[in-house]
Amino acid sequence: MTRTTLILHGHTPATPLQLSRRSSLKWFLAALTAGPLAACGDDLKGVDWIAPPPIDAKGYGTDPNLLEPVTPWPLTLNRTEIAAATALVDLILPADGDAPSASALGVPAFIDEWVSAPYESQRADRELIIPGLAWLDREAQSRFQRLFMHLSPEEKSAMADDLAYPDRIKQGLEKPAEFFARMRSLTIGAYYSTPQGWAELGYVGNRPSTGPYAGPPPEAVDHVRRAVEALGLKLDGLE
Amino acid sequence: MVDVSGETFDAIVVGSGAGGGMSAYVLTQAGAKVLMLEAGRDYDPEEAPMLNTPWEAPLRGAGTSDKAFGYYDATVDGGWEVPGEPYTAAEGSKFMWWRSRMLGGRTNHWGRNSFRMGPYDFKGRSRDGLGADWPVTYEEIAPWYDRTEKLVGVYGSNTGLENHPDSGPGVLHDPPRMRAWEMFLKAGGDAVGIPIVPARRAVLTRDMDERQACYWASPCGRGCSIGAAFQTTTSLIPWAKATGRLTIVTGAMVFEVVLNDAGKAKGVRYIDTASGEQREASARVVVLSASTGETARLLLNSKPAGRSEGLANSSGQVGRNLMDTVGSDLSAYFPALEGRPIYNEDGAQGLHIYAPFWDYQRQAAGELDFPRGYHMEIGGGFNQPGLGAYGVTEGYGAGIRAAAKRQYGSTIRFTQRGEMLANANSFCEIDPEKKDRYGIPVLRFHFAWSDHELNQILHFQQAVQTLVDRLGGTITSPIQAPADAISTGGQIIHEVGTCRMGDDPKTSVTDGFGRTWDVDNLYLADGSVFASKAHKNPTITILALAMRTGEHVARRLQSGEL
Repeated sequence: MTRTTLILHGHTPATPLQLSRRSSLKWFLAALTAGPLAACGDDLKGVDWIAPPPIDAKGYGTDPNLLEPVTPWPLTLNRTEIAAATALVDLILPADGDAPSASALGVPAFIDEWVSAPYESQRADRELIIPGLAWLDREAQSRFQRLFMHLSPEEKSAMADDLAYPDRIKQGLEKPAEFFARMRSLTIGAYYSTPQGWAELGYVGNRPSTGPYAGPPPEAVDHVRRAVEALGLKLDGLE
Repeated sequence: MVDVSGETFDAIVVGSGAGGGMSAYVLTQAGAKVLMLEAGRDYDPEEAPMLNTPWEAPLRGAGTSDKAFGYYDATVDGGWEVPGEPYTAAEGSKFMWWRSRMLGGRTNHWGRNSFRMGPYDFKGRSRDGLGADWPVTYEEIAPWYDRTEKLVGVYGSNTGLENHPDSGPGVLHDPPRMRAWEMFLKAGGDAVGIPIVPARRAVLTRDMDERQACYWASPCGRGCSIGAAFQTTTSLIPWAKATGRLTIVTGAMVFEVVLNDAGKAKGVRYIDTASGEQREASARVVVLSASTGETARLLLNSKPAGRSEGLANSSGQVGRNLMDTVGSDLSAYFPALEGRPIYNEDGAQGLHIYAPFWDYQRQAAGELDFPRGYHMEIGGGFNQPGLGAYGVTEGYGAGIRAAAKRQYGSTIRFTQRGEMLANANSFCEIDPEKKDRYGIPVLRFHFAWSDHELNQILHFQQAVQTLVDRLGGTITSPIQAPADAISTGGQIIHEVGTCRMGDDPKTSVTDGFGRTWDVDNLYLADGSVFASKAHKNPTITILALAMRTGEHVARRLQSGEL
């Protein structure tokens, strides 16, 4: 089966509108080629933690153009997998007030880029995540008779609660819990490595300036002085 | 490709990194006609992605086998593996060898940390009976450090601390201000007796020649197109070129030093990597600055008539005494740093402060169970957010954002950089079977740590624990047993020592000027000549020694001795 071969020129989650257009296009192409793996669920029976086929695409090489990056490998997740990934990353990082959800910042596309990368450093994630996404749907079918993406928030939480806390992982679900933890790391990293993520954390660097380094403003020094004094120490002529 | 076969140069310099760049600069300044041979491709500092963001890069810039230090790292055609140029490790040994194939070599991406070696470091054997003394003293090298730091541009301050020498007056650039978390850490250090002082880095904080002062952005490992972070491609090499006396041939993989009938070096043979053809170049003197590994490989692969042990190797020391820096890491989380006011903490990107080794007195009194020192490199702050888990190890949903924000700017990373002593189990040799894509036999590495290094790890772990406790923090990374905590040989990319200098031709490869004992006009100017591996990062010392070697060679060229 052929898969989508979109070439991404870096993921720039510029505006939600652009992003959803990109996502729609990709999903459309995926749907064209994904065949009958629709939401009937039958295909998922018997799926276990079986390694997906390895990637044989080319990487960007040892001397790529650093100023104009290109991601040359084809994406490989199918529509079902993208749908499960989208539901999962939004469970991990849902929208919150003004803060967008993980999928609104293109995290599912990043997951696809990541597990489709032709590198040894991503192979273990590919072998964990692709079967993991299938497991999510299989488990959802078995517990709630619906795909993961169609579960209610309470049902999704019921599943996630078995996986998300290292000290109370449900017995027998160690592998799905490993998958969940890896998806959580990748989701958080992908979320905060965006313009919106930078803004949310408050990062104000990557801005050249002239003259000496400005250093901490008075309120930042005051904060440290109070912190240090609370520990019985003192800031010694540093500011 | 430039055809140099018909020309005779005053000097051939093999390599264009710290040693090669400085050698070519000094020799051309002195009037010599120099040929520089670089195995990699030409490199333009304007290629550096100074302000590119993670979301523009594949995998948000994460490291891969193509670009081990991330997409934006300056390294070209290199990393832990170079395509078609393998190396091997002997059974039971692990060794990692970072190379690049580009003009300027590894100076395009290094950390720019520039700590002088001190009096103890040059005479370690005299102090504790271990390893080898250098044939030079700190006092002899000090003026060269001053001149090198002035030329290169190094920020820092004179601390007067034991075995951490001051620079001459007016030499250093002002260090950047401490960030808030660094002030916090210093307060703890003052309380527990760990010195937290301004670091020294080869980064300009005022404009110099055509180079611009640091503009307080852009990770230095990407290369620095404004010239603030020192690399030979924005300084020594263009300056040497400006004399009109430097010819550079890139894509020139040198594999042999050629001798004349009198046993003097007459030139080198190299592969033109584009065509695969063999070429030859000749000169009155040959300077090898190919790197610790490649210089040893070149000598071992050069076999003048009847010398199966290789060139300049009557001592048997070529390839021996391979050392790397001792590395280990701990991270800690400090609740007291939560919620602090956000501002731009990029600064000079790398170290503003560090903790130089402080326990020499107790060591001299026999109270420590390891012989040499280490320093702590310290990172933290509101760094540019990229991929990472942001300290989140459980849960999902609403709590994640708050947890990530709490952790951001509240974590400090402590990195140990310590001295390794040479040992009989750590060396490189020519692999009897394997050859690279050009047919050149490759290196095989042997490597083992000893208790001297492992015991030092415990001292570091205890010191960090004490400091973190005093500041109300928690160590968040596993505190491993030393044998597990210690870095792999070569991993810190400070490998040195394979052609050590010394006073005795029977136990060393070169004299104090980097002149090989066996071949009067063959010089080594790179990390290979180090007689010991102080905990101080080696590049500034490679530069200072190469300057001294270069002037020595220039004098002999001028006097007609060569």
